Amino acid sequence: MNPLRKQRIYALVSIFVGTLIALFLILNALSRNIDLFYTPTQFQESELGSGVLVRLGGMVEEGSLVRKSQSLEVSFVITDFNHSIKINYSGILPNLFSENTGVVVKGSLDEKENFQAVEVLAKHDENYMPPEVSKALKIRK
Amino acid sequence: MIPEIGHIFLISAMVFAFAGGVFPAVGIFKKNAFLISAYKPLIISTSIFALLSFLMLVYSFSKDDFSLLYIATNSNTNLPFYYKLAATWGAHEGSLLLWISVLCLWSLAYFFKTRQEEDKYRCLTFVVLSQIIFSFISFTIFTSNPFERILPISPVQGVELNPLLQDFAFTIHPPLLYAGYSGLSIPFAIVISALLTNSNKSIWARQARSWTLLSCSFLTLGICLGSWWAYYELGWGGWWFWDPVENVAFVPWLISVALFHSLLVTDKRGFFINWSILLTIMAFASCLLGTFLVRSGILTSVHSFALDPERGVYLLIIFGYFIFSSLTIYALKSKARESNQSYSLYSKEFGLLLNNLLLVILALSILFGTFFPLIYEGVTNGKQISVGAPYYEILILPFAAGLALLQGLALFLGWNATEDQSFIKRILIETTVIFIVYNILVYVFLGEITAGAFVSGLMFCWIVAGNLIDSFVLNLKSSHLYKAIIRRFSLILSHTGTAVLILGVGIVSSYSLENEIKLSKGEVYSFGEYQLSFEDISMFNKKNYESEMAIIGVTDMAGRKMAPMFTEKRFYPSAKQVTSEAAIKSTIFHDLYVTLGDDLGKGDWSFRIQIKPFVRWIWFGAIMIALGTCLASLTSMKRKE
Repeated sequence: MNPLRKQRIYALVSIFVGTLIALFLILNALSRNIDLFYTPTQFQESELGSGVLVRLGGMVEEGSLVRKSQSLEVSFVITDFNHSIKINYSGILPNLFSENTGVVVKGSLDEKENFQAVEVLAKHDENYMPPEVSKALKIRK
Repeated sequence: MIPEIGHIFLISAMVFAFAGGVFPAVGIFKKNAFLISAYKPLIISTSIFALLSFLMLVYSFSKDDFSLLYIATNSNTNLPFYYKLAATWGAHEGSLLLWISVLCLWSLAYFFKTRQEEDKYRCLTFVVLSQIIFSFISFTIFTSNPFERILPISPVQGVELNPLLQDFAFTIHPPLLYAGYSGLSIPFAIVISALLTNSNKSIWARQARSWTLLSCSFLTLGICLGSWWAYYELGWGGWWFWDPVENVAFVPWLISVALFHSLLVTDKRGFFINWSILLTIMAFASCLLGTFLVRSGILTSVHSFALDPERGVYLLIIFGYFIFSSLTIYALKSKARESNQSYSLYSKEFGLLLNNLLLVILALSILFGTFFPLIYEGVTNGKQISVGAPYYEILILPFAAGLALLQGLALFLGWNATEDQSFIKRILIETTVIFIVYNILVYVFLGEITAGAFVSGLMFCWIVAGNLIDSFVLNLKSSHLYKAIIRRFSLILSHTGTAVLILGVGIVSSYSLENEIKLSKGEVYSFGEYQLSFEDISMFNKKNYESEMAIIGVTDMAGRKMAPMFTEKRFYPSAKQVTSEAAIKSTIFHDLYVTLGDDLGKGDWSFRIQIKPFVRWIWFGAIMIALGTCLASLTSMKRKE
């Protein structure tokens, strides 16, 4: 085999192997980093066990925000007007968090079947609702 | 009256752009010299009318003309004057007009820069540009007209610019970003015109490269500013969120970086011709895709403009038209023969091939992650998911490592083959030496050496050794040091910038301290090397917001009192929105970052406090990259052969 061809074959093989490795890494990373999105209704139907990390979206029910005094712990209820779920969270709520607006929380059920959020997201615009939430609310109507 | 004039100007610009996109092309087809030369007045009048129309909108904003729907929903009499002007591009319609104006500026710049070029080639470039301008203006006029009136009764007061956007960085972030985005239309137009006229690669490859470099420079600055803005304005101390819209700005950046590296090979050696052409089309496509994603609302993102499916369809048509026609032209017209010469594995060509491979695969996999929720939703019949940041973080590491490895070698690899391979030993030694020093420094100042610091430090040392240290070591005694650095200055600057950025990312992601705490007035909290005391909180009424401002006293390790920090929570009544203003005390090596949280009652407040080591290095590195690419562009534009 002439040296030029040999080199090209090396190059091709290394590119091929490289691509395969890249593809493997990509799919592997992807499969471990997907968060499922649920509305409260879907969440209740799915009957997920504790510890499974999910994202949950809905409206914050009016008057449901409770702050434990002298700590950063809060709880509130999110609803899709069909089912609602109580969320516990420890930390500072985002600025745009308020009752009657859409939020997305990320977290999981603990052993006592309480939903513990690790992250609460509210979006920039006061009229903005996460598409998932507005879609879920539309389906309900 | 002014808005009507602006509207008419915009329509005129659209008509001129249409004419400019059709008649000169017909002229070339029919060999009609008059029609061909018509492109000059047409592109100039298109640009001037579009720019004037933009100025009319800015003027209407400055005059609080709330009879315009767009102004009524995005501005307010209480807004400071400066932000009134910036509010012009605060939402979808106006930012689209800004996009068009910036593209017109690019076209004018290209027009005046290429006066000596051959007519046919130059003419076709402007045909393509006019078509792009036309499609965006018609999109603006038919689906998102900023000059729409609210008649007969117009409101006396407007809603308000989103308070988060009332900020200096925001006011220049969109123009810079759009300059980068729309700038990639220029290489696209160059390449299409070169394909159609079979022009010599030595002309188009160099031109396309200079303009790609320049847009990449703007894109870098735009993204960097966006990241900086998010860092201090959102109050979370995050600087990159892997948000879909960030991703679709990052993808064109990666592709444009790949593109100007590939064009270098095309220009200098005549390899990668087809690849460069395809990459140019890809770069432009990724910009259109970005525009489409941001404005169609199909992805969940903090950047989402209001949802409107009609806009999405229109943009999809534009996207389809340009991509389909350019690929068709490529398929029919590309007769490019790659150079028959070969190159060895240890050559610049092969290094740049790997660089392109890594950058493009990375770009595609980021795009894949961004679109995956949509694909998933389609396949599983409506099940919704999101792809978390860890996906991208795991993904980017091997690519960054590969690219860093190549960057360290960039100065040494020769075209065709690398004769003198003694450099490998040298930079290995240099890397080892500075890496040991680095680890000692990290250990002494940060206390422990984490995996993140180790890996990013290794990349940093390798790139710095290859690009900077070696030039010093080799030329220290001779008088060539200065020359050696100046000659490759832009390359050294941007590659070292990447190293600085990588180091910043590595350190800030592994040594950041964060805590959310409750403080009552007078309470002292010690955090890292600081003592923070919550001294006071008070209310202020400002022109367009109410503010609660907390004063935090800071004492450093030695017990010296430092300037107090002020963190605010602002309430904007007309937008009914609350924003946090973080207090940031920054040094070269770290930022102390305090955000005011919620009122917990009884005089207690919550605070989020963070220490972000090396976070400035990220933006500093990005600015170095932007300067380097800008400089490279200017030198390559100047050089004539």
